Amino acid sequence: MAELALHVRGLRKQYPKTLAVDGVDLEVPRGEVFGLLGPNGAGKTTTLEIIEGLTEADGGDIEILGLTWANQGQEIRARIGVQLQSTSLFNKITPREALDLYGSYYPKRRSTSELLDLVQLQEKADAYHITLSGGQQQRLALALALVNDPELVFLDEPTTGLDPQARRSLWDVVRRMKAEGRTVILTTHYMDEAEALCDRLAIMDHGQVIATGTPASLIADLAIPSVVELTFEGDAPDPVAFAARLGQAVERRADLWEIPTPDPKALLPRLLEAAESAAVPFQQVHVRRATLEDVFLHRTGRSLRE
Amino acid sequence: MMLWRQFAMEWRLYRRDRVAMFWTFAFPVVLLLGFGTIFRDGGGPKLSVVRVQAPAPGPQDTALDQALTDVQLKVQALPKPEAEARWARGETAAQLETDGAGYRLRLNSYLMAQAGATAGLVNQAWLMAQARLNGSPEPQRIPVSVESPGHKHSANYAAFLLPGLLGLNLVSMGLFSVGMVNVSYREKGKFRRLAVTPLPKWIFLLGQVLHRLTVTVIQAAILLLVGRLVFGIENQGSFVDLFLIMTLGTGCFMAFGFALSGFADTSEGYAAISNLVFFPLMLLSGVYFTLDSAPAWLQHAVALAPLAPFLRALRAVFNDGGSLVGHGTGLAIVAAWGLAAFALAVRRFRWA
Repeated sequence: MAELALHVRGLRKQYPKTLAVDGVDLEVPRGEVFGLLGPNGAGKTTTLEIIEGLTEADGGDIEILGLTWANQGQEIRARIGVQLQSTSLFNKITPREALDLYGSYYPKRRSTSELLDLVQLQEKADAYHITLSGGQQQRLALALALVNDPELVFLDEPTTGLDPQARRSLWDVVRRMKAEGRTVILTTHYMDEAEALCDRLAIMDHGQVIATGTPASLIADLAIPSVVELTFEGDAPDPVAFAARLGQAVERRADLWEIPTPDPKALLPRLLEAAESAAVPFQQVHVRRATLEDVFLHRTGRSLRE
Repeated sequence: MMLWRQFAMEWRLYRRDRVAMFWTFAFPVVLLLGFGTIFRDGGGPKLSVVRVQAPAPGPQDTALDQALTDVQLKVQALPKPEAEARWARGETAAQLETDGAGYRLRLNSYLMAQAGATAGLVNQAWLMAQARLNGSPEPQRIPVSVESPGHKHSANYAAFLLPGLLGLNLVSMGLFSVGMVNVSYREKGKFRRLAVTPLPKWIFLLGQVLHRLTVTVIQAAILLLVGRLVFGIENQGSFVDLFLIMTLGTGCFMAFGFALSGFADTSEGYAAISNLVFFPLMLLSGVYFTLDSAPAWLQHAVALAPLAPFLRALRAVFNDGGSLVGHGTGLAIVAAWGLAAFALAVRRFRWA
């Protein structure tokens, strides 16, 4: 196995009312894009902030680039890049000044204009931070995370609140980081993002890692590669009677029924016939391949978005 | 180098907040103009007495009125209803009226400092008036002079106010604005991003202290200039000494503010903590009243507090043209507090 960029064992964090992180183990080899996927409140951000040295853990061991926080904190800080979930800078600092200033804290630094190019902020380089749009602020935060040419980059929900186009261009930046040989650890609650960007994933729920693997292997492990969806106009009706008739599990979510199956070709004629005879008022039929969303649903019985 | 960048950036961001910057510099000037105008001439605030006009003034009344003016009291003669209305508004410190064959003096319990002094003068005037009426020799008055501890006389009371204003402004800036700004920035998460960089806390804090130090120096320069141009107040001592004291004091009280900010989680909490420190510091400093009647242990404790030696040295230089030589111990106390507070500030400082 390649050298580990991050090795976490038995991480625990107890808040007064909740156990935010409950025995998390992570192993991330160098050069990998690794994702922490889970719903809000799963403990992703707390896990990340403990690893970044912002929050103190109640238990567990962390090794970052072979270093520990106990006595090599300054060296860790010099070699990692961090984008916080919300980066609150001084209102009247400009992107150029912020990059110059933060760059000055590090022994090794990248040039400000190169970073401004990378995140396409040249035009806004001298505008006050408070006047930037959410997407622009997010891009500046990303550039700040790269200011010291870090070996390991942490991105906490980098695309939350961005429009689709801005998300795509941010994905490109992450792919570029990987191409440059950096290790990237990111959190997200978008399964498409996790699938598109991550080499490997840890799915988190209630402070625990409930599954780890490549996106493809996680989906393959489900053994239900496909899902048939019946969509309704308005809310979907109760599927219990229909499921009994079909002899197959039917899940109701909002305006559709989901029927996971390993063999959609065999299921479809049976399904349509049953729907016809039961006079189910559905609008459309879709067959799609299973996604990480289904993996999460299967493991927790809940949707990622809930 | 890192420190310089931090300092330069503080200044740059500070300059962009024009409103805050304007008032930081304008506020002490406004105070000086206000107090300076009120106390412009004469040796301090003038005492006044409201004199209820007698229905039919006799020779005794005339003699008393003359004597009141002779003892330098400002006499405001008012008809009875107006005098009572003024009293009811609480604006009168002392009211003198005819009572049978004699007089009665009423003192406002809310304004006892002025009223007490006024009562002394009124009684003196009454003795004078009686002697004049009886044709007996006038009672001798003991000559009074107003001087500073360094034996300086000044016709201009504002001159004695200015160093107090300088000192007070610096203390309140350190304890209130600086610490408060720090806590509110931390509340808003403005420091979190710094926490994941290798920037040492002490450089960050020292950058802020140095920035505030230069702000205070400029503030003091403006105040001195206005004092000189408008009121003709001159610094009697050396500007080098003045600069040294101001630097030391600013450093000390800024560090106080930063240290206290490490003990509060919210702005509201900080307001409470800073008041808890500020008021004892002010009241026990010996600036407002002497502590002669306080228990000995308290006097010893207070002697080690930083505000009194700082103000004493400041006034000695500014008003009396003294040198810093005699103030070594006091300034050492201020410096020791400053260093201790800074060490505590670095220790307690949290990014988030």
